[in-house]
Amino acid sequence: MNNVSITLALILAAIGTGCQTTPERSRNLNDPSVSGKTLAQQVCSNCHGIDGNSVNPNFPNLAEQQKDYFVDEIKEFKSHDRFDPAGFEYMWGLSRSLTEKQVGELAAYFAAQKNIPDKSADPKREAEGKLVFDQGVPAKNIPPCMACHGPEAAGNGTFPRLAGQHADYIMKQLTVFQRTDERPQGAVMKNVAHDLTPDNIANVAAFLSTLSKK
Amino acid sequence: MKRNLTSLLSALAAMSVLLLPGSAEAVPAFARQTGQNCVACHAGGQFPELTPYGRMFKLTGYTIGERTLPLSMMGVLTANKVKVADPAQGATQNGDLVFNTGSLFVAGKITDNIGGFAQITYNNYDGPNPDTGSFYGHTGSDNLDIRYADRLIDTNRDFIYGLTLNNNPGVQDVFHSVPAWGPATVPGSTGPGNGLTPILDNALGAQAAGIGAYAYWDKTVYAEVTGYKTGDGVFSFMTQGNGGQAYLKGTNPYVRVALTKEWGPHNAMVGLTHFDVHQYEADPSSPTDRYRDTGIDAQYQYLLDPYTLTATVARIHEGIDYGSGVPSATINSLRAKTSFTYQAKYGATLSYFNMTNNQMQESSGWTPEVFWTPVQYVRLGLQYTLFNKNEGVTDPRDPTGASILDAKSSNTLFFYVWGAY
Repeated sequence: MNNVSITLALILAAIGTGCQTTPERSRNLNDPSVSGKTLAQQVCSNCHGIDGNSVNPNFPNLAEQQKDYFVDEIKEFKSHDRFDPAGFEYMWGLSRSLTEKQVGELAAYFAAQKNIPDKSADPKREAEGKLVFDQGVPAKNIPPCMACHGPEAAGNGTFPRLAGQHADYIMKQLTVFQRTDERPQGAVMKNVAHDLTPDNIANVAAFLSTLSKK
Repeated sequence: MKRNLTSLLSALAAMSVLLLPGSAEAVPAFARQTGQNCVACHAGGQFPELTPYGRMFKLTGYTIGERTLPLSMMGVLTANKVKVADPAQGATQNGDLVFNTGSLFVAGKITDNIGGFAQITYNNYDGPNPDTGSFYGHTGSDNLDIRYADRLIDTNRDFIYGLTLNNNPGVQDVFHSVPAWGPATVPGSTGPGNGLTPILDNALGAQAAGIGAYAYWDKTVYAEVTGYKTGDGVFSFMTQGNGGQAYLKGTNPYVRVALTKEWGPHNAMVGLTHFDVHQYEADPSSPTDRYRDTGIDAQYQYLLDPYTLTATVARIHEGIDYGSGVPSATINSLRAKTSFTYQAKYGATLSYFNMTNNQMQESSGWTPEVFWTPVQYVRLGLQYTLFNKNEGVTDPRDPTGASILDAKSSNTLFFYVWGAY
């Protein structure tokens, strides 16, 4: 029996000493030699999906996201300038040691994925959301979302893609913009979102979640 | 009562001084390693229920993140008030607030493929001294799980495989329907009272050494085979300080299969466990008892900020054949638990247990609990266990020990303050 123990201990010791870092499959967030693609697959995919489409709407879809916006957000997490709870609880730590090169590679990885929008669930709400997206709410001087995010909500540079984003995520972020200063880089959204009613927010989120960029 | 209140307030004041300030990264070793808050891995920040991400963190060998100081501490203050208390059990039953257990964790990633945790626990109420009757404290090894893991993942496949070295059958599991992480995991919790529990229910905790291999395919199928043997020789560090060593005959197989599915904010698991154990009744010269445990369990989770809900149910059937010729025994355990959290601060749980057997030592009952997590390192909870059945408990007020108490006499109010740093 002792021989069995010793053999097992030796196997574990051999594994421990023999298996060096495999940069292609590392989950080390503080190793500049690990590529952004590897980190996207080994770490980010746990919440955001291997193809940038997350299962749980707590986590945003990153597929086809604008690279400049993605890089800005990681920088904001890293500097702790963005401090909405859902952001800092998960992202401050994960982003703290990423290099600029890795962040760029992560942005490229997710931008190259194919976004999968949610299925239509409430056509009436989505139609009303489309009105807000296309025309804003003129009576309240709320500009149309498409003015910055593009007619297909594909985003542009530092303006994020919204098409195919989870409705729950959009609703929560609009609420963060509207009620807090927790996302200073998106401060422009505070003015835009200020007079949106909860119903406006739910409608536009429902519309965007089902929108597929052509 | 006044003394209780004073000691409670002093304890809370002391803990708040220790734990109040600090960044989100300032607590237990794993949170330091990833830099994330507890809520990333624990559903609603409650311990120990894992989120899908927490399960992946464990299955990939605790290796996500960066190496940091791999040390953490945990302390639990408790007060148990049993309806008809046994004076001989003193502070463990009379409602006094006591320091129950303190643990030191060595936890974290070692290499990019290896990581783990080892817990060493000081139990302040390990047992009564037979001469004086007063309780003494004791330090021993507690849960341990060290892993090697690798993950082959791209857009076409996701395959995690690994090895685990652990000391408690089930502690390596990532679901909370298994007894090692199931109901009553807060030290001092009432549990199923006097009812007999199967060997899979922590009976070999920190008493055996297991080495196993596991695989998780496409976030769908989990399979594991682990062999447990006596935790002596080179493995004795895993069972150190736990009193009488349990002696197992040969290598005893533990087999686990589970199917998992995630959709939207929901995730679910259904699993099977089989554990076949030959254990010597005393030392290796004594007769061997054979335990055959078969369990079926399920878990459902709903996770969408600011709410989490985790529901588990587990049924274990055990057959015991005694080497000494005593007639065979059959033990069944049914446990279920649902927990709910709001804003990772406020929570409630409801547990049910029903232990049946042919040994006249059955129990059943309910444990509702409410808890509050003011900061992520501290949780205060209040439980009440209502027994419908608790066979074989003698009346402590009867000097002859002949009178048997009714089940409700064992009802217990339990308060705890749990902190980790």
